[in-house]
Amino acid sequence: MADKFLKRENLGRLIDSVRNGGARFVAPAIDARQAVYRAISGADEVTWDYILPRNSFKDYLFPQTEVVAEYSIGEGGVEIRGRELSPKDTVVFGSRPCEAASLASLRSVFTWDSVDEFYTAREDKTTVVTVACTNGDEACFCTTVGLSPESVAGSDVMLRETADGDFSVTAITGRGRGFLSAHSAAFEDSGSGSAQKPLFVPEKIEGVDISRIKERLARKEHYDDPVWAGLTRKCIGCGACTFVCPTCHCFDIIDEGTAFEGERRKNWDACQFDSFTLHASGHNPRDAQFKRWRNRFMCKFNFYPNKFNSRGCVGCGRCIRVCPVRLDITEVMEEMSR
Amino acid sequence: MSLYANPTKSSPPSPYLPSACRIEEALRPTAKEKFFRLAPHDPHILNYSPGQFFMVGLPGYGEAPISITSGPDEGCIELCIRAVGNVTNAIHRLEKGDTLWVRGPFGRGFDVEGMAGKDLVFVAGGIGIAPMRSLVKAVIKRGGFGRLTLLYGAKGPEEILYGDEFEGWRAKGVDVRITIDRPSPGWKGYVGVVTTLIPPLDIDEGRTLAVVLGPPVLYKFVIWGLRHKGIKDDDMLLSLERRMKCGLGKCGHCQINCVYVCQEGPVFRLSELKGLPEAI
Repeated sequence: MADKFLKRENLGRLIDSVRNGGARFVAPAIDARQAVYRAISGADEVTWDYILPRNSFKDYLFPQTEVVAEYSIGEGGVEIRGRELSPKDTVVFGSRPCEAASLASLRSVFTWDSVDEFYTAREDKTTVVTVACTNGDEACFCTTVGLSPESVAGSDVMLRETADGDFSVTAITGRGRGFLSAHSAAFEDSGSGSAQKPLFVPEKIEGVDISRIKERLARKEHYDDPVWAGLTRKCIGCGACTFVCPTCHCFDIIDEGTAFEGERRKNWDACQFDSFTLHASGHNPRDAQFKRWRNRFMCKFNFYPNKFNSRGCVGCGRCIRVCPVRLDITEVMEEMSR
Repeated sequence: MSLYANPTKSSPPSPYLPSACRIEEALRPTAKEKFFRLAPHDPHILNYSPGQFFMVGLPGYGEAPISITSGPDEGCIELCIRAVGNVTNAIHRLEKGDTLWVRGPFGRGFDVEGMAGKDLVFVAGGIGIAPMRSLVKAVIKRGGFGRLTLLYGAKGPEEILYGDEFEGWRAKGVDVRITIDRPSPGWKGYVGVVTTLIPPLDIDEGRTLAVVLGPPVLYKFVIWGLRHKGIKDDDMLLSLERRMKCGLGKCGHCQINCVYVCQEGPVFRLSELKGLPEAI
């Protein structure tokens, strides 16, 4: 039973209410003819015509580049200062159930041993408002990895589109309930009574069995399987899959600046790059592209579930859409399910 | 005065914020290596064990993982750093009185107490002698071990590290055997790679632990040689070299399947690495 209703034309009221409260409103907007998550200032910027924004909203929790310390080098010596952490309250509007489910995965990495507050402080200030999927494409495969267009994991508020284009609104978490009451002026107590629009449910890919993949990856014999080199030969190592993936979390730490001052930054990195594991000596323990591809696949289907008991792949299909050589992860999943 | 002197203390504790160390001594034992003795401003980081490492860096250049070469409880941190990349070449320009920045100590080192009572065979190749020195010093200090043998291979006599300390170790009961890869004028010791020192050893395989530290290429040959002497994979300890950035088990660079080398390693039993292809 829905808690509230949101009229499409009242989105502007919601955006104003969120922004007047000092928070940032992030939603899909069209940029270079593609839907991307962006900080929004008015309803006219928001697009409703999207399947999934090209970038993941991890950009707002784990930014592509982020200052972790600042230094200055002067005649008096070197000074290095930490970065005060005061992330802005953020509302991510228009998320999809697949990527909302990735929050638990990112959190598992950033808190498993020591806590990386650069991530947790942001996540703790983020409200995720998810819209259940009423459209999709052939790259979507959430149902194959055990999710669905109405999964609520990771979402604070769930929206379901009705036939007349408005939304029924359900709070999932305490934060979600707080969000609804804080911005109650934007919501209605009752809807028009029109039926919910049918959801887009991707067909489960026949021949893919996640538990079978996990089992197979747990035995090291698979390393020698010629399937790896064969299927992933066309990978050019561009790393695009990792940058759009909502659970990819690898980063580099680099000093950027002048001779006098600069910043120590966390920048996204990718296990698909040949320099990722390269030692200064020249030795590289992961010395071929198919091994790097294999590593990413193992990270999704063995490392995440076994080490962190969380999900490595949410089936959003971004890596398939963005791949310049059409390397489809579900084909590898199929092969590894045999 | 150097630009790298007189640091100002940094305030909030962040796992990415390094702490300052004053360089008390800077020596150049070989053409490629520089030795530093550090006095950290924060005494807590002196609590390390052999086999652990620090992320060592200079603001403006970055950080690199460097193993500890001093024994534990010596009240200082000693590092032996080879100039191979950007960061290490910059560090080589530092001298006494300058400041180095470190984060750590990180990782799982050697369990010296757990090794007590055993015969130990230390096999070090090249700069692998740096972390080995930390372990040898800890073992000598603790006492209560069986036979101690150190096999150390260097490329040539001019590349031997800690040459002036081996007599002291011998006096404490360590059988130190050094070999160089190629013959050199005036060298009267062993010639050949370090693996050639293994077959002549008299090993009681039931009570021997072998510790292998060196470049990745060394491992498979040394492991092969030690297995031939009857040493079990459970009784071989080695340290994995990896590219590392955070030291916290987050950044992914040192990850091998389900293992973060910076957290669960860098010291492993060989038996732990058996199901871990790409490790060695």
